[in-house]
Amino acid sequence: MISTGVSGLDEMLGSGIPRGSRVLYSLEPGVDGQLFMLSSLSCALAKGLSCLVILPNTTVDAFRNDAAKMYGARLDLVSGPVTFMDAIDRERIQKTASSDDAREREWQARIRKICRNRHVDVIFAYFDLLYEDFGLEKAIHLLESAREDKKTTLILEHLNLEGVPLLERFTGEFSFDLVIAIRSSFRPIPHFNYFTLVHTSWSPVAQRSVPFIITEGRIIPYIPKIVVTGPPHSGKSTFVSQASDDGQSVDRRSPEGEPTTVAMDFGWLRWKDFDITLYGTPGHTRFDPLLPPYLKHAMGVVLVVDATKPETFPRAKHLIEMTAKRRIPYVIAANKHDLPQGIQSGEIKSALGIGDEIPFFPISATKRSDVHFVLESLVDSITQFSY
Amino acid sequence: MYCYKTGIAQIDDVSGGFEAGTNILILAPPMSYADQLAYALTKPLEGEYSIVLSTNERAAEVVDAFKLAGADKRFTGVIDAITKSSTPGITDTQRLMFVSSPTDLTGIGIKFSNMVETIFEGTFAEGEAGLFPPPIRFCVNSISTLLMYRRLEVLYQFLHVLTAKLKKIEGVGIYLLNSESFDEKTLSLIKQLMNCVIEVKIEQNVSYLRIQGIRGVSGEWLKFAVVKGKVNILP
Repeated sequence: MISTGVSGLDEMLGSGIPRGSRVLYSLEPGVDGQLFMLSSLSCALAKGLSCLVILPNTTVDAFRNDAAKMYGARLDLVSGPVTFMDAIDRERIQKTASSDDAREREWQARIRKICRNRHVDVIFAYFDLLYEDFGLEKAIHLLESAREDKKTTLILEHLNLEGVPLLERFTGEFSFDLVIAIRSSFRPIPHFNYFTLVHTSWSPVAQRSVPFIITEGRIIPYIPKIVVTGPPHSGKSTFVSQASDDGQSVDRRSPEGEPTTVAMDFGWLRWKDFDITLYGTPGHTRFDPLLPPYLKHAMGVVLVVDATKPETFPRAKHLIEMTAKRRIPYVIAANKHDLPQGIQSGEIKSALGIGDEIPFFPISATKRSDVHFVLESLVDSITQFSY
Repeated sequence: MYCYKTGIAQIDDVSGGFEAGTNILILAPPMSYADQLAYALTKPLEGEYSIVLSTNERAAEVVDAFKLAGADKRFTGVIDAITKSSTPGITDTQRLMFVSSPTDLTGIGIKFSNMVETIFEGTFAEGEAGLFPPPIRFCVNSISTLLMYRRLEVLYQFLHVLTAKLKKIEGVGIYLLNSESFDEKTLSLIKQLMNCVIEVKIEQNVSYLRIQGIRGVSGEWLKFAVVKGKVNILP
């Protein structure tokens, strides 16, 4: 497997890209997504794989400088096993070959020669100009023809000005193994980027989109909203607080003397290379009108239930139904399970009306490790959930 | 809706200037000083910002031209598609960004988005605040150069995205195109993306312009000269 360089994305793909695959990173105009290709290139080089980088619209020096600025010193494009074909090669081919066919043959011959001599494992090609020079079919064929034993992995970056129809051609007509569209919501404010896993040939992951941020030359998938809900006093605020690297609790003393959430707890953490924001809801039924807006755009839900209070299970069941109706992936955390009066998992699941397909975890919300285990499962559910 | 003053009374008096979201094509023969006209229309007025995509001049030359026109350089950004081919190590700053060549539409798109983002974030002008939402004048100082490097269909698609973004951010776009180097099909396709066309001609060393596409503005030829970044309509 070749890592994409983005751990969160590797997880979604089942630990990376299988050798010999054909991959497309499709960039929408204006989206800062060039780091995807560079990250994959960096990982391939770090693994000692021989790489050919085809950059028809820039020179090697300019590319090295840009890559160093974007990715930092981690990407070794000088001493690593990498060969380049750049804008100067393209210019020479344009000048020397007299027709389109001759140019195509010349490209093929040069790529094939490099692949043979250097035992190239991965071809990284910036595809725009090849597409423009030869058309889609010929340009893909030109790169394909160098993969004589089909073991060479082919990774393309392309500025997609044609939208979905072009992606469909790559997945359908040309049977690419992995197609990732890197997109942006171009609203002046807020301006956020996301990638869409359009197609994978080797794993059954359904098409999904994940926002990402770029920080210190790394792509960090971003889960903007996980809702933590459950009946009153089930341990939601404790869960959010234990899970978070940073956050804010809004608990106040209730008339019964117990702390109760009067608005929304908020927490933030970085977990398994995802940036995650947690929203903890109040549990009392009087806040129910607030729940639909809380659940709107949520990417996942943790339902916390107090394993020692069976009288709260109907309320928990109601909340599960609200979540399931919206087709949001969710997990159940049965809190205080470690206490002597904790009810057995089977009984709780039966009372909540959930089957084995729903992740269920007996936990203590005061233990950070338990809480993180629940979140890990939810992140898996989010990235692998078939909507 | 914000109106971008042009300094041309025939436009400003009738419509208050270019409406936000307008894309203007300047069709001009070579050596007609149309670049000066484009820069005069792009120059930021108080509280406004300008971005120039330069496909035929170095960033330093564009900045000088704007300086001579009296523009505040803190509110002017340049995406330079020329310098990097000879100076690969050149580094981006907040207001000067570089792409490897005019073929690099991916880079151009990204730098444009980045610059717009910094303008909206308020970090563009060394702490100086302009208006909000920020009025942005954007100029491509030659579509002709882009057409030399990329096919018409590709460039059309790219400009389609760019002009749509300009509309979305309520900016104004000014695009220069050499009227003598391209066939009717090319001109007609590019015109489809525009709301307004300013034609320029030269006769006996006198420059004329004709404005089409602004309601209330007559389409007659007007003599003009650009002096210190201001368009003077001559009698």
